[in-house]
Amino acid sequence: MNPAITVEHLTKSFGGRKAVDNVSFALPQGAFLSVFGPNGAGKTTLLRMLATLARPTEGTVTLAGINLKEEPERAREAIGLISHNPMLYPDLTAEENLLLYAKLYGVRDPQRRVIELLDAVGLKHRRLDRVRTFSRGMTQRVSIARALVNDPSVVLLDEPYSGLDPHAMRIFDELIASVRADRTFVMVSHDLDKGLALASHVLVLARGRVVHFGEKDQMSPDEFADLYRTTVGMGVS
Amino acid sequence: MTDREGMRSALCKAPSTWTQYKTLLAKDLKAEFRTKDMVVSMGIYAFLVIVVFGVALSFARPGAEFLEVSGGLLWALVVFTSLLGLNRSFAKETENGCLEGLLLAPLDRGVIFLAKATSNLVFLALVEVIAVPLYWMFFSSFAAPAETGWLLVVPLVLGSIGIAGIGTMLSTITAATRGKDVMLALLFVPVIFPLLYACVSATTCALVGGDVFADGFLTSLALGAGYDVVMILASWVLYDFVVN
Repeated sequence: MNPAITVEHLTKSFGGRKAVDNVSFALPQGAFLSVFGPNGAGKTTLLRMLATLARPTEGTVTLAGINLKEEPERAREAIGLISHNPMLYPDLTAEENLLLYAKLYGVRDPQRRVIELLDAVGLKHRRLDRVRTFSRGMTQRVSIARALVNDPSVVLLDEPYSGLDPHAMRIFDELIASVRADRTFVMVSHDLDKGLALASHVLVLARGRVVHFGEKDQMSPDEFADLYRTTVGMGVS
Repeated sequence: MTDREGMRSALCKAPSTWTQYKTLLAKDLKAEFRTKDMVVSMGIYAFLVIVVFGVALSFARPGAEFLEVSGGLLWALVVFTSLLGLNRSFAKETENGCLEGLLLAPLDRGVIFLAKATSNLVFLALVEVIAVPLYWMFFSSFAAPAETGWLLVVPLVLGSIGIAGIGTMLSTITAATRGKDVMLALLFVPVIFPLLYACVSATTCALVGGDVFADGFLTSLALGAGYDVVMILASWVLYDFVVN
């Protein structure tokens, strides 16, 4: 079976600076990869390349055998991205926002899918309210529904806990747990505890390069914390 | 997760480009008609420009020469009003990272361009429907337009299509820049200059009438139409490069 995600010699340069430098790894289907590293380590740039939002300078990314550079539109059908930006139109209702994305992805029964997702994130009763009137936590829940509208096999998470209170974080964790089966996740986070709790695999970046990649169980939490502290001290690329 | 057909979930079918276009256009229209912030601000601005023109020309003697400058003044009104709207139209896409949400979807970037250009055209047309009759009433008190005056609708349609198309492309380019309001104006006015020239010429021909109309109206329209076709096609083709 093909790995869910294969990254080979991936490099992204901005001018003369390499934000991501020769990164390679492969993830099996159903894996949860947590990506750690100090600010400026290239975590978000890596995630943006996986999401087809940035084009690699060198190297390739393959999702279930599909090369992102050659067939980005086909790959997008299977990708969902949750970031600190909700990607929701504030003047549209929660339902209208999700219907918009459902139709763009070609969902067969968009109305049914949207109601199902709003129910799953506990916001069915607020479906006709404008997103502008929602709290940060509620907006993030609609954003999760948006990212899942196309039933993606690969879910990318960019600092998803940013700006969430502990209650909203707990709801977020429950939602992720409920949709985790068979999907492959890649999460960029500064929160070591959260990231390790969810992960099956761990990637540590510093100055755009891979410092460590492997299954979480290869290292004890204390060893990992030591590695992470050393990495943070390495600074930005 | 449900069964998959290749990369696509069984919940989804291959999305149709026409459906995606209609969905994006409906999104823009719904958001604007709900808030009305773009159309109302453009409308108020257009009205104020007409008032300023009125004050500026209030001490001039009525006469036929008014007709010769009125075409230019109408287009000054249209260009400045559309600049205001174009700046706002793309701001909504950058708020909350919405543009990235669209770029993540499996759709041709050209569809985003066409939908945004169409919505910008609709908003500009709505403002023109109110502003142009006001302008007509104002100028007809100084000098009566020729019988061909109503034909100014043709360059108005042609010019508005070009402004919406080219303006959408340029507002996408400038959306991520610092000082985007000034940057858009700096790029927009020189780029649309040939179209502006053609439309001012055709509008003046229509208002003045007679020999002037016979000599220049169709030639100016042909220039404007040619410019529209070339620039909108170029914008559509280049949009993928621009948004990436």
